Amino acid sequence: MSATKVTALGRLAGLTALAAVLVGAAPAALAVPSFARQTGMACEACHTVFPELTHFGRVFKANGYILSNVKQVQDVTGKREELLSLGQNVPLSIMAQVSYSDMKTGVPDLAAAGAPGVAQNGTAGFPQQLSLFYAGKIAPNFGGFFQITYANDSGTIGIDNTDLRFADTTLLSDNSPLTYGLSLNNNPTVQDLWNTTPGWGYPFTASNAVVSPLAGAAIDGAFAQDVAGLTGYLYWNESLYAELGFYRSAKQGQTNELTGGAGPLDGSASNVISGAAPYWRLAYEYNWDRHSLEAGVYGFDIKLFPGGAPGAEVPLSGPLNRFNDVAEDIQYQFVGDEHQLTLAGTHIHESMKLDASVAAGTNPTDNLSTTRLWATYYYRRKLGGTLAYFSTTGSTDPGLYPAAVTLPSGANPGVIVSANASPDTRGWMAEVNYLPWLNVKISAQYIAYNKFNGGGSNYDGVGRNASDNNTLYLLLWFAY
Amino acid sequence: MCTISCNGSRRWRTRRVMHAPLLLATAALLALGGAGVRADEPDAATRTHAQRIAITVCGTCHGPNGNSMNPKYPRLAGQNPDYLAAQLKAFRAQTRGDPDAIGYMWGMASQLDDDTIQALAAYYSAQKAEPSASGASPAVTRGRQIYAQGVSAQGVPACAGCHGPDAHGLQNFPRLAGQHGQYVLKQLASFQSNMRNVAIMHGVAQNLNLDDMDAVAAFLETQP
Repeated sequence: MSATKVTALGRLAGLTALAAVLVGAAPAALAVPSFARQTGMACEACHTVFPELTHFGRVFKANGYILSNVKQVQDVTGKREELLSLGQNVPLSIMAQVSYSDMKTGVPDLAAAGAPGVAQNGTAGFPQQLSLFYAGKIAPNFGGFFQITYANDSGTIGIDNTDLRFADTTLLSDNSPLTYGLSLNNNPTVQDLWNTTPGWGYPFTASNAVVSPLAGAAIDGAFAQDVAGLTGYLYWNESLYAELGFYRSAKQGQTNELTGGAGPLDGSASNVISGAAPYWRLAYEYNWDRHSLEAGVYGFDIKLFPGGAPGAEVPLSGPLNRFNDVAEDIQYQFVGDEHQLTLAGTHIHESMKLDASVAAGTNPTDNLSTTRLWATYYYRRKLGGTLAYFSTTGSTDPGLYPAAVTLPSGANPGVIVSANASPDTRGWMAEVNYLPWLNVKISAQYIAYNKFNGGGSNYDGVGRNASDNNTLYLLLWFAY
Repeated sequence: MCTISCNGSRRWRTRRVMHAPLLLATAALLALGGAGVRADEPDAATRTHAQRIAITVCGTCHGPNGNSMNPKYPRLAGQNPDYLAAQLKAFRAQTRGDPDAIGYMWGMASQLDDDTIQALAAYYSAQKAEPSASGASPAVTRGRQIYAQGVSAQGVPACAGCHGPDAHGLQNFPRLAGQHGQYVLKQLASFQSNMRNVAIMHGVAQNLNLDDMDAVAAFLETQP
């Protein structure tokens, strides 16, 4: 995924990641062909169309990505205990996204202070993203999904979604399977089995060259690749799923002023988790005929030191900002040979208690709710599309959603602000996809905003309308 | 799903529990022409291993006891072991070429050894086949007629001739009773197109029209 989810405004607001998560910015990650090479099975076993999982794909993931149907290089003890089991195919994959993004109306050019202009509209990403994966079995009960990504917004290579799993399955007295495991991952919900939670929810990818709304909940990708979490889970009879775990800050590129090393985290780091943030998940899936229905709840409770930045350090002590997220999700799938239909959605409610930021001008408490609903249809996994609705509403808070960004020149370009201090954003997404082959997707996506950062017209106070941010996004997406 | 490879890598690990006494006992029984123990019958450890694979791996699609709910995946409960073993070996050898065989089973069966195949076949054949569907319809009536008598005008022989009057099959002729209608229909189409290359069934299916296939499939799904 694009690592940058924090806008300049977010940094100015001092609640960076939390105030500036791109609504609907889902990771551009996916199923990878290395799984197919390892299992010897076609993509359709685990996916309707990548990256959406089928029931079999969910079970494969819960079991740690280790199902292997290739010859193994092995080592054993004298008691025939396995010390090593390496598939003879290395489970590597590459993935590329090449894109073109065009907003309905261009944005101001801030490069030349005092010389107003308009930035060029229509951005080619070549690539928008290029990723290398190790995805598959590592040891008999240990598998992983590593993603290393070059992203064109940062121009650097960095860690992307990662999920390391230990898992095993035992048979209970009634012969029902109970899968149990641990996930060590860097993005809350990236380990989840359903495509409803933010880590793998719709949209599966989005432009990184457009204007993004100000607000997003903590669990909605704000801490992707910024944390390390260890969770434990139980998956009974391939239907009932329960998970509990904790996340701690794991900053990338952060340097301790004293040690000169990667830690300990100090006041030059922003939004540092105090202690460990609990994550929980409960879901039930019922399968019949070619249908699958899942309903679940999940949540994240995180307390943060606002911290600072190099040169503007703030001690990691004192009051904390707390973000308590509780969410529901639901997914229906029909997986036929000819037709594939998915109806899914999630609702995230966040309660904020901003003890650490209230002195800087935020409300002491805020609420934020995000809803996403989508319907996806494919014909023969070749031609299909998605229609989605998204909505974010919440408390007005000038400290979180400021009315102006003041440039050194004194000008306020608007665009990424909210004139009425509201996070409310609402709109639709429509996407058409064509897959000439199962690992190659050609997409055209359009996002239409009815409301953006609190308003439909002149939402920024300098004349920009929500619809000016409507975006056409063309994408070539493939993996091998 | 397995926490084990399906390539039998765990099999020898579990087979180590086939201790010397068991080996001796087996050998003695064989030497005496022991009734009930065939030379090619899998040992207890292999059977246990196969049961685990069947429930935790195969079961995700075929159901833990072989009574799959999803008509994409065939019901295996009560299936004839010789037929099951032959199919698994055909998947392993990549000689069964219908689309789902290629997409799913070529990989899944690729590393199975003969003992595990025999044990899997034995496991499923021992499971109780649950009824798949019930009810009467014109298609079921027509299907019953085709199954029992064939379609002489089109040169289609009676299915019952090989698969038995109760559709339970015999040896390499599979049990069809209770099989998902959608699965039967897809297989008949594969026989007709020769994607699933079985000469006998190609001969039967090539003259069946879609309505007849539908009717036979609907009938078989209702059979106990």
